[in-house]
Amino acid sequence: MPAKLTRNFCIIAHVDHGKTTLSDRLLEYTSTITKREMTDQHLDAMDLEKERGITIKMHPVVMNYPAKDGKTYKLHLTDTPGHVDFAYEVSRSLAACEGALLLIDAAQGVEAQTVANAHLAEQQGLKIIPVINKIDLPSANLELCMRQLEDILTIPAEEAILASGKSGIGIQDILEAVVTRIPAPRWTDYPTLRALVFDSKYDAYRGVVSYARVFSGTIRAGEMMALMSTGQRSEVKEVGVFRPGMEKVASLGPGDVGYVISSIKSTEDIKIGDTITHANKPAADMLPGYKEVRPMVYCGLYPLESDDYEKLKVALGKLRLNDSALVYSSESSVALGFGFRCGFLGLLHMEVVQERIRREYDVEIISTYPSVVYKVKKHNGDVIEVDNPINLPDPGSIEDISEPTIKAAVHIPNEFLGDMMNLIMEKRGSVDHTDTLDGARVMLTCTLPLNEILVDFNDRLKSITRGYGSMDYELGEYRVSDLVRMDILVNQDPVDAFASIVHRTKAEGQGRALCEKLADIIPPQMFKIAVQAAIGGKIIARDNVREMRKDVTSKCYGGDISRKRKLLDKQKEGKKKMKLIGKVSIPPDAFIQVLKTNS
Amino acid sequence: MAGFPPAQEKAQAAAVPPLGVYVHVPFCATTCDFCAFYQTVPKGDAVRRYVDAVETEAALVPWDSRRASTAFWGGGTPGLLKAAEIERLGRIMLLYAGQPDEWSVELAPATVTPERLAMLKQLGVTRVSLGVQSFDAGLLDALGRQHTPAQVYRAYDLIRGAGFASVNLDLMFALPGQEEVQWRADLTEAMRLAPDHLSTYCLTFEEDTALWVKLSQGKVKLDPDKEAAFYARTWEFLEAAGYAQYEVSNFARPGHACRHNLNTWHMHEWVGLGPSGASQHAGWRAANPPDLTQWHADLDAGRRATADRVRLTDDLLAADAVIFGLRMNEGVSLPRLRRRFPAAGWSGLEDILPKFLLGGLLVASTEGRISLTPRGRLLADAVGADILEAFESAAKVTVK
Ligand SMILES: Nc1nc2c(ncn2[C@@H]2O[C@H](COP(=O)(O)OP(=O)(O)OP(=O)(O)O)[C@@H](O)[C@H]2O)c(=O)[nH]1
Ligand code: SF4
Ligand SMILES: [Mg+2]
Repeated sequence: MPAKLTRNFCIIAHVDHGKTTLSDRLLEYTSTITKREMTDQHLDAMDLEKERGITIKMHPVVMNYPAKDGKTYKLHLTDTPGHVDFAYEVSRSLAACEGALLLIDAAQGVEAQTVANAHLAEQQGLKIIPVINKIDLPSANLELCMRQLEDILTIPAEEAILASGKSGIGIQDILEAVVTRIPAPRWTDYPTLRALVFDSKYDAYRGVVSYARVFSGTIRAGEMMALMSTGQRSEVKEVGVFRPGMEKVASLGPGDVGYVISSIKSTEDIKIGDTITHANKPAADMLPGYKEVRPMVYCGLYPLESDDYEKLKVALGKLRLNDSALVYSSESSVALGFGFRCGFLGLLHMEVVQERIRREYDVEIISTYPSVVYKVKKHNGDVIEVDNPINLPDPGSIEDISEPTIKAAVHIPNEFLGDMMNLIMEKRGSVDHTDTLDGARVMLTCTLPLNEILVDFNDRLKSITRGYGSMDYELGEYRVSDLVRMDILVNQDPVDAFASIVHRTKAEGQGRALCEKLADIIPPQMFKIAVQAAIGGKIIARDNVREMRKDVTSKCYGGDISRKRKLLDKQKEGKKKMKLIGKVSIPPDAFIQVLKTNS
Repeated sequence: MAGFPPAQEKAQAAAVPPLGVYVHVPFCATTCDFCAFYQTVPKGDAVRRYVDAVETEAALVPWDSRRASTAFWGGGTPGLLKAAEIERLGRIMLLYAGQPDEWSVELAPATVTPERLAMLKQLGVTRVSLGVQSFDAGLLDALGRQHTPAQVYRAYDLIRGAGFASVNLDLMFALPGQEEVQWRADLTEAMRLAPDHLSTYCLTFEEDTALWVKLSQGKVKLDPDKEAAFYARTWEFLEAAGYAQYEVSNFARPGHACRHNLNTWHMHEWVGLGPSGASQHAGWRAANPPDLTQWHADLDAGRRATADRVRLTDDLLAADAVIFGLRMNEGVSLPRLRRRFPAAGWSGLEDILPKFLLGGLLVASTEGRISLTPRGRLLADAVGADILEAFESAAKVTVK
C-alpha cells in the first residue's frame, strides 16, 4: 500500500474523556476486532489498566478502512493515556503521527490536559481533529464545548465532530476526517531507511521488542540494521504490526508503525528516541528524538528478601524498556539493605511501577518515603542535589536549601475561586495570574512547591470543585525555602527509609499525620511500639501502634499438634511478607498506603 | 493389668517417656456449627465395622510391650456407642495398651445413660468429660447443639452417682450474641456443680464448618477484643473459685489436671487409633486419614498413620516442646529440654527470648524455667510463630 494511502494519528485528551472507549468503536468499525473478541477498553491490555480503568501505556494498532472515496486506507492509531503522570507517553506518540484526535468530554468541557496535550500536538505540527465525545450524556453541553474550543484552544468550532464512543455515534465521520484532513506520512522521500524508536518492551519469548515508526525506506527480516545514536549493528529477526496483538509482516515501509525485533539482547542497548537505519546504507542524519524527561519524585525500592536484589535489578532493566520515564541507580539503606533509588514522573507513576514490578516480575518490594530533588548550598559554596533525605548534609554546613516548584495551570469553575485560592495558600503557593476561559471558568496560573502537590493536591482540587476542576503542570524554578529533615523513629530507632524533608512550618502537622497513619498501617504488634517524628533529635509528634489483643488457639490437643504447627507456619510465612525493621513488621506498601489514605 | 507389676512399671517410666493412647470415635448424631472434628452420622453396621477396624489397627501398632499410662476417648461422640460396643472397644484397647492409670471419655449430655456409665466404670474409666458448652438454652440452640440444660443436669448427676474419680465440664465462650453477664452466669452455674476440672474454650472459627460459612457471609463477626476480655474474665473468675489454670483453656482442682493432655504438651508419646487419630510414637509423627472409608482402606492394606508423616527430630520436638509447653502455666524448663533434645537449634531461641522477657510476655526463673505471663498467654500463637522461626533459622545456619 503506498504511503499516500496511510494515515498516522493518535487519540489525545484529558484523563477519562473516553479515548480508549472510542478506540474500541474504531477497531470494531474497521473490523480489526470482531464483536465477539471485543472487550470494554480493549486496548487497555495490562491487568493494571483494566483494574483501574485508566490507560498507562500508549497502545498502537493498525486498521484498514475503506473510505468513501473508494480507496482503502491503512490507519495507524495510537491510544494514549490522559493522566498527567503519563504525559511522556503522549509526547512520544505524537512524534510518530501526523494528526491527532483531540477528545473533549461533552459534560466536562475543556480541561487542563486537553489544553496541554493540544499544545503538544501543535508544537509537533500535527493536524488536530477536535471531537466532542460522550454526547449521549444527559449533561452534555455542546454549546459550551464549542465555545471553549474557539476561546481556549482557538480551533474553529465547525471543525468539531460530535461523537459518542459508548453509543457509537460519529465513528464514520471521524474515520473520514482522519483520511481527508490528516496529511499522508511525511519525510517519505528521504533516500535511506529511517525509523523512529518510540517505545519498546521486553517479551519473555522474543526478547527486546522495539516499537518503530518508519519514515522512509523499508525494513525487513534478515537485514542488518544500525541504531544511529550508538552505531550498534544487529540483524533484524522479525518485523510486524500491532493488530493489536503482535502480527508478523514481511516488511514495514514508509509511514508504517509496527515493531522490530533484532539480535539485540541487552535491555540497556535500546534508547527510546533513537533512529533505526540500514547498517550498509546508513542515513546521514537522525530523526528528531525526544527531550529527556526529568523525574519529579524519587523513592528507594528495595527487595523484601535481600536475595532478590539481582532479580529486582533485572526487573527494573526490563521495565525501563517499556517505561522510558523510569530512572534508577543503586543505593543502600540501613533499614532496608541494598536497593535502588528510582525516579518517577509523579506518585501515580511511582505506584504503577511498584505494582508492575510485583506483578510482572514477581519481586516483592518495599519502598521508602518519596522525595523531590532539593538543591543544597553549603557554606563553602558547593551546591549538591539531594533526592534522598538521608543525604542531607549536617545542618551546620548548610547555607540554604532550595526546593523545586511547579508552574501549574488550574482550570476551575468561577464559583470555586475563593476556596481554590485558600488551598493554594495552604500549600505555600502563589497565583501568578488569572485568565477567564469562558463565561463560567477561570484558569489560575500558579507557582507551587512540588512537594506540596504530590500527595493530596489533586484530590483536594477535585473535592473543592466537585470534580469540575483540573490541573496541568510542568517543573518550574528552584526557590530557597526553610526546609528541615524530619526523622521517623519506630520503637525509638530512627528508620532512614521513613525520613522526609519538610517545610519547617509544616513539620509538626505533617509529623503528626505521618505518625498517625503509620501507627494505623503497621499491623498490631505484640509489644508496645511508639512511632515518633523528630527534627534534629527533638520529638515533635508521636503515636502508638495498636497492641495485639489476642492471638491464641483455644483448643490444642495431641491430634491438633500437626495442624497447629501448620497454622503457626502459615503465620510465620505471613510475617515474612513484611519487612522487619527493628522488631516491627512493616507491610511493603506502607507508603503507598500512607499517601493514599491522605485526605 | 496382670502383666504389669508395679516394680516393672517404675523401671519403665524411668527409661522411656510416658505413652498415651487416644481413640477417636468418629460418630455424632448431627454436626454442630462450630465443629471441625472428624465425625459422621453412623449408618448400618458402621459402628461394628469401626470397632473391628480399631482392633485391626491396634494390632498394627508397634507397642513394644509398653503400657499406656493414660487413655483418652474423644470424638465425635464416644457416648453414641451402645454399652456392648463400648465394652468391645474397651477390651480391645486394654488388650493392646494395658490398663491406664488415667482414662478419660468424652460424653455428650444426651448420651449419658446408667448402662453406659456402668460399663465405663466396669472397664476402669477414671475420668468423664461432659460437653456442656453452655447452660443457656438459647445459646445452645444457636450453636446447633443437641441437648438441653435439663439434660446436662441429669447427665451430671448420673456421672457423679457412678463415682468416677474425676469429672470435667467443657464450656464455650465468646459465642455469637453472648454477653459477659451470660458467660459469668455459665461459669457460676458450672461452679455450683463443682466439677473437678473445667475446660473453657473460646469459640473458634475453623475452616469447613457451618460457623465459618456464616463468618464469610458476614452473619457473625470476629471480635478479638471481646474474646480477649472474655479470656481475662474467665481466668480471674476461676482462679478466685479455686480452680487453678494449668493451660490456656484448662483448669483443675488440685490433683485433677488431665495427665493425658499434659503428656502431649510435654511432647512425650502417644498412639492415636481411629480415623483422624494422630500419633507421635516410635520415631514418627503421623495421623490417620480423617475419613472413615480411607481409614478402612488403609487398614485393609495393612497400613496406618499414613497422613502428614514426619520423622521426629530434635529440632521438631524441641520447638514444639517449647511452643506447646508454654501454653501451660508451669511453662518449660529450658535446661531439661536441652538435655532431652541436644541437637536442636537452641541458639535461635536464645536470641529472641530477651524481647519477650523485656516486653512482659515471658518470665524466667533462675533455674531456667520460662513461662508466659497472662498477656503472653493471650498471644501464645504469635509468640509460638516467632519461636518456630527462631528454631528454624538456627537450624538453617548450622546446616550451612
Ligand atoms: N456516557 C459515556 N461514557 C463514556 C463514553 N466514552 C467513555 N465513557 C466512560 O468514561 C470512562 C472513561 O473511559 P475511557 O475510555 O477509559 O477514557 P480514557 O480517556 O481512555 O481514560 P484514560 O486513558 O485513563 O485517560 C469510562 O467509564 C467509560 O465507560 C461515552 O461516549 N459516553
Ligand atoms: S458433638 Fe462434638 S464432635 Fe460431634 S459435631 Fe458436635 S462438637 Fe463436633
Ligand atoms: Mg484510556
